[in-house]
Amino acid sequence: MILDESITTALDSIKANLLRSLLTTIAIVIGTASVIAMVGIGSSAQRAIDDSITNVSARTLSVYPSRGRGSQKINSTPLTISDADALIEDNEINWRVSPEIRSSKSLKYGNESITISVIGGRKTYFDVQGYEIETGNFFTERDDLARKRVAVLGSNVGTELKTSSKMLIGKEVDMGGVTFKIIGALKPEGATGWSNPDDIIYVPLLTASDRLFGRDRVDSIRVEVPNTYTPEEAMISIERVLRREHDIGPGEENNFRINDWSQFTDLRKQATAIFSGLLIGIAGISLMVGGIGVMNIMLVSVTERTREIGLRKALGATQNAILLQFIIEAVTLCIIGGIIGVIFGSSLYFLVTVFQDWVFTIPFSAIIGSVIFSGCVGLFFGIWPAKKAAALDPAVALRFE
Amino acid sequence: MNVIKVNNITKHYLLGSQKVEALRGVTFGIRQGEFIAIMGPSGSGKSTLMNIIGCLDSPTNGTYHLNNKEVSTLEGDELAGIRNREIGFVFQNFHLLARNSALDNVMLPLKYAGFNRDDQLKKARETLSKVGLESRMNHQPSELSGGQQQRVAIARALVNNPSILFADEPTGNLDSQTGHDVMQLFHNLHQQGQTIILITHENEIAAEAQRVIYIKDGLIESDIKKDKV
Repeated sequence: MILDESITTALDSIKANLLRSLLTTIAIVIGTASVIAMVGIGSSAQRAIDDSITNVSARTLSVYPSRGRGSQKINSTPLTISDADALIEDNEINWRVSPEIRSSKSLKYGNESITISVIGGRKTYFDVQGYEIETGNFFTERDDLARKRVAVLGSNVGTELKTSSKMLIGKEVDMGGVTFKIIGALKPEGATGWSNPDDIIYVPLLTASDRLFGRDRVDSIRVEVPNTYTPEEAMISIERVLRREHDIGPGEENNFRINDWSQFTDLRKQATAIFSGLLIGIAGISLMVGGIGVMNIMLVSVTERTREIGLRKALGATQNAILLQFIIEAVTLCIIGGIIGVIFGSSLYFLVTVFQDWVFTIPFSAIIGSVIFSGCVGLFFGIWPAKKAAALDPAVALRFE
Repeated sequence: MNVIKVNNITKHYLLGSQKVEALRGVTFGIRQGEFIAIMGPSGSGKSTLMNIIGCLDSPTNGTYHLNNKEVSTLEGDELAGIRNREIGFVFQNFHLLARNSALDNVMLPLKYAGFNRDDQLKKARETLSKVGLESRMNHQPSELSGGQQQRVAIARALVNNPSILFADEPTGNLDSQTGHDVMQLFHNLHQQGQTIILITHENEIAAEAQRVIYIKDGLIESDIKKDKV
């Protein structure tokens, strides 16, 4: 009975001072709006990153040679093509192995000359990376064994040479003084953060090793693990094969390292945690500022309505009834601010998703949470003014001018 | 039977370091169904006495029995309960809630008394009809004349069937004709058996009561019963 009277009174009083009430809630609006917008944008961005990483990565391990760490002398045995072959021959796990040899070379076509990243790999390289051909063909295993001077272009290379990939198919280019024939061009893949596969030229592994770079040392070996094994099981197998190949005795350290992409996931989780911590901080500060604003306006309201409080007390309102009325008013004010904030924040987030072409997922728990939290802010900052109201002496309050 | 029995009550205030004796020992009784006026100049202690009888304040010393219950020792919410059930207030400037309809204003004491909404509506409508406002129940105070507003206030004072109707300068803000109408309403209520205490400084208004208590310097100067009925 008293509760619904209190809610009606609270809404009436907010309506009667609409502009003042709205100005009071601005900090609350900003606080909740920023939480909603940032939580939304954060989760969409996360999803976008996840999508681009899982393209390559979820089931792919990368093996690298160890680098010497500081003064510690680690036997710097390189990874070689024969290590990759040993992994291919080991058939305990039906994995796909893709050694990669990489360097920069100058590339000349006609009068154009550019410096370009060259990757030497087998046909499996394209399969593991998930690259697709746009025109022409991939090189074959036979091209590799025959050390043929053929090359496949990333989708941007044609433009960089002031022509188009299509025009280059079948043409010869000069790479580091060696003539190569272009046999294919890839579809655009887009940058993955570390490098852009569209800017690279691809040649067969053995061609690169024997004719171009003059080394059988590879830069990395990628291993794609089939779904029937976990990355951990695959790591143990890779370790077993490579320790045998590198003659590493029991108790000795590995002279290679295996990157599990889950490490990146962990890093990302950490970054997300820091990011959310920062957000909570910002939201906390603006909600506190908002709360102080609400407390201020409630104190003004108590003074303005001293006679009304006196009257209510004369008519039999208990201290608790008055307390409840003013607390409900403060909480209502904050919840209204919270709801407006949610609307603003969601709209902002929606606009961002439209421009970034992201998925719009309403963070429902964030919405409920921030509205409830706004209410709690009202409760916390409304208690003192409400107590002041409840403690008023009715005889004095009735005479207040 | 005495509704009100006040025995030797005093009230002291501290105004800064100055002790002010607003009431210095007041004793009287009011019987059920009496129509009584309390008069006195400003600073006489009249307002203090009114606050104590109206259960808005407690005396420093002395006892106050309302319906044979000692209320001088009660405080806070207990007094709020007494005010809600036993006393109906009518003020000089009406004290209506400006944004509520006449009906909502009259329902207010019933809300604090804990009646359900149906009972609140029923009682409030009945009481508003009793003061002749059945056609203006849903109007807001700003849409009513001064006399009508004071009738709403009287309805609000009566709605919970109080033992005492307590009117503080009820005609002070009204023109003489409207004031006369309001006084007529008081007479009607009195004839129906309502105990009425009227606080006023106008002799003309006080003259309409059966009995006039005159307060001066915190003491009763005179207590005159008239034979006018």
